[in-house]
Amino acid sequence: MFLEIDHLTMQFGGLIAVNDVSINIEKGEIHGLIGPNGSGKTTIFNVLSGYYKPSGGKIIFEGRQISGLSAHQITAAGFARTFQNMRLFKSMTVMENLLVAMGYRAKVGLWQEIFNPVAVHREEQRFTEKALELLDLLEVAEFANELAISLPYGHQRRVEIARAMATDPKVILLDEPAAGLNEIETEELRKILTNIHERGITILLVEHDIKLVMEACEIITVLDYGKKIAEGTAVAIRKDPVVIEAYLGKEGNQ
Amino acid sequence: MKKITRILRWILILAVACLMLVLPWIAQNRYQVHIVNNIGIWLLLSLGLNIAMGYAGQYNLALGALWGVGAYTAALLQTRLGVPFWINLPLSIIAAVIIAAFVGLPSFKVRSHYLALVTIALGEAMNLVLVNETPITGGADGIGHIQMPNLFGFPINNDERYYYIILIMVILGYVVGRQIVGHRIGRAFRALRDDFQAARAMGVNTGFYQILAFAISGAYAGAAGALYAQLNTYISPDIFTFNSALIVLTMILVGGMGSLPGSVVGTVLLLVLNEYLQVFQRWQLVGYGIAIIVVVLFLPGGVVELARKFESFRQRWLAGLTKGKSDAEAG
Repeated sequence: MFLEIDHLTMQFGGLIAVNDVSINIEKGEIHGLIGPNGSGKTTIFNVLSGYYKPSGGKIIFEGRQISGLSAHQITAAGFARTFQNMRLFKSMTVMENLLVAMGYRAKVGLWQEIFNPVAVHREEQRFTEKALELLDLLEVAEFANELAISLPYGHQRRVEIARAMATDPKVILLDEPAAGLNEIETEELRKILTNIHERGITILLVEHDIKLVMEACEIITVLDYGKKIAEGTAVAIRKDPVVIEAYLGKEGNQ
Repeated sequence: MKKITRILRWILILAVACLMLVLPWIAQNRYQVHIVNNIGIWLLLSLGLNIAMGYAGQYNLALGALWGVGAYTAALLQTRLGVPFWINLPLSIIAAVIIAAFVGLPSFKVRSHYLALVTIALGEAMNLVLVNETPITGGADGIGHIQMPNLFGFPINNDERYYYIILIMVILGYVVGRQIVGHRIGRAFRALRDDFQAARAMGVNTGFYQILAFAISGAYAGAAGALYAQLNTYISPDIFTFNSALIVLTMILVGGMGSLPGSVVGTVLLLVLNEYLQVFQRWQLVGYGIAIIVVVLFLPGGVVELARKFESFRQRWLAGLTKGKSDAEAG
């Protein structure tokens, strides 16, 4: 198993945000995570990226337990993420945002970083080239030297995805990448997802835009009140009475 | 156009370099050279604090005490054991770096203003140690009879000669500082200052870089301390306090937070003003206060922001000119 979320529970005081959830994710799949507000999707992301230590259960990635590691170690293990409320570094250009994400893979040591300008220059060039390639992939290369937060919203979303890609991940966690995008931009996002997918990167997608999820994801997991209520292909999920009930309420209640 | 700007820039750099080289000879008296030496020492402090605070957002207000760690390490090594300058200087830096790393530990638990408060307390506690450990530190009387350096048989026994040592250290400090903030380390610093959680998710080992920021400011303070002790040949605890950290903080606020040229501008401006404002005696502090308020209100980026604004204005003006020209040609 590539990525295994095993009986994960996350409790904050009296609130159980995630309750005994198990999800298996295959290498290279686009896996959707949907559910009404407050169903625990973002909490799962935050546990996956190391912000929270789970109250119960564990996360196994490529045979190694990663739950309990700190966030930067999990990034080094091959996880990258974007944020619901975009969190680009506000003092930095688009390029610098990406270079930060590449920093942990630097081969130039700390002392060299200060006292060996030649080695530093060579590495900066190598990183800059790679970053440009990613910016090209996301079609924002022309803004490389602009302040990231000065770009239009849709472009910022792309920069954020490019930044996540810059960590050279095996799994990318996208937290509502379509939020705030118009229809055309969402369609472009879908193409971007396909592009990332074709590079062999596993995608875990939290998204409220059901249409996008249904179109893009191979497997969808549905959460409600912190519990997993359904899992399957888009077609199966669409017909599942439990899912319909969670989203629309019971017929008798109306 | 670009070429001319570049040539002008080099001429400017050369002029400044020449001025710095001959400065002790064009000074009117020894006191002026002493002031310049003093500026150099404060410059190291303000470069260090600007890297930690302006770039990494780590409020190290124990800086005054760390300066003291450097000064006392050098003074004790020199007076008790006769360790020469070129050995006690690096040892002072190492001592201040180690203590600074410990001062940085609370940054794992508290941030920004709270961290400032904790580091103030730590700094004052360290100052109390300097005051009260009389057998070692000489207590409130401090340590006297520190020898000025003697470099390989060449005595650096006056302000004019010492000036060159300080000049070398300041240039070294500036160049190293640029190397730190301009590349990977600087970006990691700014990332954790801009958005701590996002920095972690981008693989930045935030704990490591927080301590590194403290350690770097400690290194600068340690060097400043060793230089200070052997320039003045006498040290006492009363300068290694929060008050000094506050002065350095004012310097970088006025000059420009998160900008090394800002550190230079702020330090020189404040200390030169300080000399001219001496005549006003107590009103001098009022002047400081007003200066800070004006800068914070109208130039939140410090004096260097003026240069930035001027540059963007000039570029817009140039763009306007060429546009007007092409419009005219088209017409």
